[in-house]
Amino acid sequence: MASHGHPPKHSPRRRQFVAGTGMLALAAALPTLSLAQQKTINVGVILPLSGANAQFGINSRQGIELVADEINAAGGIKSLGGAKIKLIVADSTSAATTAATVAQRLITQNECVAILGAFASSLTLAISEVTERRGVPLLTMSFSDQITGRGFKNVFQVVSKGSLIGKCQFDYAVALASGNQKVNKIAIVYEDTAYGTSQATGLRDAAKAAKTEIVMDEAYPLGISDVTPLINKLRNSGAQIVFPVSYLNDSLLIIRTMRQQKIDMPIVGGAAGYVIPDFAKALGEYAEGVLSIAPANYDLGPQYTERYRKRFGAFMVHEALEHAVCMDVLAQALEKAKTTAPDGVREALRSTRFNGGWTQAMTGGAVKFDDTGLNTLAEPVMVQWRKNELVTVYPKALAKGNFIQRKAV
Amino acid sequence: MTTKNFPGYFRWLLLLLVLAIFPWFLKDQGYAIRVLILVMLFAAMAQSWNIVGGLANQISLGHAAFFGIGTYTSTILLIRFGISPWLGMLAAMLVAALAGAILSIPTMRLRGHYFALATLAFGEVMRAIANTWTSLTGGPVGISVPFSQPSLSLMQFKSSLPYYYIMLGALVITTVIFILISRSKLGYRLRAVKANPEAAEVIGVNTVRTKVMAAVISAALMGACGTLYAQFNFFFDPDTAFSLTGVSIRVALICIIGGIGTAAGPIIGAFFIIPVEELFNDLLSGQAAGVSQLGYGLILIAIILIEPHGISALLERGKKMWKGKRYV
Amino acid sequence: MQLLQALIDGLLIGGVYAVISIGLTLVFGVVGIINFAQSQFLMVGMFIAFFAWKFLGLDPLFGAVLAFAGVFVLGALIQKYLISRVLKAPEVSQIFLTVGLLIVLENLALIVFGSEFRSVQTAYQTSAWRLGGLMFNVPYVAAFAVSAVTGLLIWWVLKKTWWGWAVRATSQDVMAAQLVGISPARVHQMAFGLGVGLTALGGSIILPYLTVSPTIGDQFGVLMFTVVVLGGLGNILGAVVGGLAVGMIQSISSLVMPIQLQNLALFLIFILVLAVRPEGLLKKAS
Repeated sequence: MASHGHPPKHSPRRRQFVAGTGMLALAAALPTLSLAQQKTINVGVILPLSGANAQFGINSRQGIELVADEINAAGGIKSLGGAKIKLIVADSTSAATTAATVAQRLITQNECVAILGAFASSLTLAISEVTERRGVPLLTMSFSDQITGRGFKNVFQVVSKGSLIGKCQFDYAVALASGNQKVNKIAIVYEDTAYGTSQATGLRDAAKAAKTEIVMDEAYPLGISDVTPLINKLRNSGAQIVFPVSYLNDSLLIIRTMRQQKIDMPIVGGAAGYVIPDFAKALGEYAEGVLSIAPANYDLGPQYTERYRKRFGAFMVHEALEHAVCMDVLAQALEKAKTTAPDGVREALRSTRFNGGWTQAMTGGAVKFDDTGLNTLAEPVMVQWRKNELVTVYPKALAKGNFIQRKAV
Repeated sequence: MTTKNFPGYFRWLLLLLVLAIFPWFLKDQGYAIRVLILVMLFAAMAQSWNIVGGLANQISLGHAAFFGIGTYTSTILLIRFGISPWLGMLAAMLVAALAGAILSIPTMRLRGHYFALATLAFGEVMRAIANTWTSLTGGPVGISVPFSQPSLSLMQFKSSLPYYYIMLGALVITTVIFILISRSKLGYRLRAVKANPEAAEVIGVNTVRTKVMAAVISAALMGACGTLYAQFNFFFDPDTAFSLTGVSIRVALICIIGGIGTAAGPIIGAFFIIPVEELFNDLLSGQAAGVSQLGYGLILIAIILIEPHGISALLERGKKMWKGKRYV
Repeated sequence: MQLLQALIDGLLIGGVYAVISIGLTLVFGVVGIINFAQSQFLMVGMFIAFFAWKFLGLDPLFGAVLAFAGVFVLGALIQKYLISRVLKAPEVSQIFLTVGLLIVLENLALIVFGSEFRSVQTAYQTSAWRLGGLMFNVPYVAAFAVSAVTGLLIWWVLKKTWWGWAVRATSQDVMAAQLVGISPARVHQMAFGLGVGLTALGGSIILPYLTVSPTIGDQFGVLMFTVVVLGGLGNILGAVVGGLAVGMIQSISSLVMPIQLQNLALFLIFILVLAVRPEGLLKKAS
């Protein structure tokens, strides 16, 4: 292969040429190298992008992307020289161990300034164990009471606690019904994962406090394929209102089976499956008038949330909204902190009352975290399905529409 | 110890030395060291599984039952009674061993697919119990292991290094136990039962006692690994601790991909599977949803198709081919 | 009265469980592997039926035929190119090949179809017939009817046609079957295709009351295995009896204990049957 008789491959003239070009290139690059103006800030986004919660993960990511793009289009983080937000998105999968490892990777390899995620409380709890030890802020809309109950300094939860959501699910329903009749007997049915169980606890405690009789209190396995026994029990229980806490498949099963058995009682859902577009799409007219509690709702800030509908084609579900708020809060904290050092960001997150941008779309109109990391300004709202849209009907101060009694079956 | 075995021991010692020194080059509390910690923990778990899966050829798809018992036992003892996780680990091993013995009863006469299904059901039973017995286990919301400050007696640290050495220790211990068993009379009896249970009975092997002993040891080791996991991850719930896909299937898979029945198999398997999973997640999960998992599934199928007996067998094939070439 | 209602509900849903599970037991009986990915074919069948409803206006009960046909072909191909390669490999490798297949199918569906939960709307979805004091859930009755018809068809095919005889011969003794001119490879392809096709059919007839998403299969995985074990792996009549039994156990157990423990009860029965009578509750009948 070697060609001994030929001149060497790199002739002197060629070498000069290469060197010259190299120096020119270096000179051209020098201004950008020295000024380092267009920095990027890495923000970690860990969400379930596979498995049973994929849809919620995807919605949440879309909410974050919407806000990040807006911020970048408006010039990035100005106090840091117009640095742009770069989202590092990763799949948490549905395994808590993996979620924690992914968090570790984003912090170590990508040097993320903060983590947003992860929808499901178990994933968020696992991730928070990593972020707490590394001192990296974690912003989340998961609402298990445990999240803010461990004295952690790096967790920031933008929504109310699960037990409060459950409590409001009951209290608001009673308030809305008070005009018509006294509520004496209620039924609670819930899917048996962390979400259903913790919200049911809030419901139960609120009912007990109001001395209302709980005539049915049943958990069911999440993957249940036949709810007939459950609804049979409901029919025979004598309850006046049913409070189901479900994901989508089970919520549809419950509502359809109730229809079949011509059970007329009001349904007050527990968010999750009850407040997504697929719910109305599946049930059509049977969704009309169904109530549900929700940690937030898009009609409280249409000047922001309609942008989501424009870009993604459906109304902004609450997890997308809350994650969007997380992103905006982080951006505002970065502006205030003027640094990407974790201590500074954490300090800004904790000490500031955020009332600009997307925080206005959150219930409470602003965001302020207390020492445990909970946003104390957030309050749950009761929403009602009206023509495939969710309308906030309670508390009165926030209501965008009047509560309408459902027509009898 | 004949001279023929000398190179074998040498390889193990070299591996141990490399593993012992390696973490010092890694960033503490970083990603790489975390992955290595998980690799070694899962290798230890797969090695525990190897005792029934490899030596006795009983494919268990329910080992998460023992793992989960381990996580909950030591953590409940720690939270309720302040008992050190080291002692809690011993308690976890006892309870898990008991569960292993109990599981042996209905599965005594089962083999192959039937055994796999029965153990799978057992794992799911334990998960359902943990999920519903809220007063004992906290229910589906899971348990956070309280962390006050780095403490050896409480088996909790901020730095990753102590965890690394604990997991390495677990791997060494489980591997040594595996090797000892496979060379001992128990190993001989297990192989006899695996080959032909009726014949084994005829020559005087107490098949029942043999199987139960293997199950008990395997379960106890798995339970210990559960404690270690709880103390490392600081959070778990029934779905995590008793996970069919995340624990039961994964440890069996690691052992099989690496080479079932061999001492090196679980280690090879863990060093392959977990980094590959992470790699796919790293490269692909930011893309469309589901892509990284798809990639992982395809790799799995590919490996099984190429060499159903696992990577050990693949290496053996490679060695033979290499040896064959030298004489050409 | 409550007991009778529970029995009826259990029976109706049990018929569906039976149709879904026959495929699994058939595959084991003829091909000899436990297909851990079986529930994913239920999901594929449901998607086919959904799109048949959406674009062709076909009621899922008729769309089930399309689902069956489509998944039959898919199954035959998978058997030919994937499963056949591990038939001689250790059992564990077979198990894990199907586990890999499970992951691939579920995530392919996620990538191709997206994660939304899709539902059909049919006229009879929310109706129930009343007879005496009893209620008959119409979608369940329809599904049961289709299941019964399908079950009879399968029985007829296996007992009365040449092909069914070939299948039974292969499952009993491959060598002998080959000697009389049956191609085991062909039979395996047909059997696997039939097996997963049946599960797909089962998926589409339950579409009226469930939603389809890439992960819907997971809900039925363990259920299918319970049915099949109760009836005896490889025993088709057993799958029918097992399906009905599981449906009724689920339904009746809710009368005496919390619904949350439904699955726990099933698993314990599962283990019990395996411990005491691994060949299933029925005597071995091919």
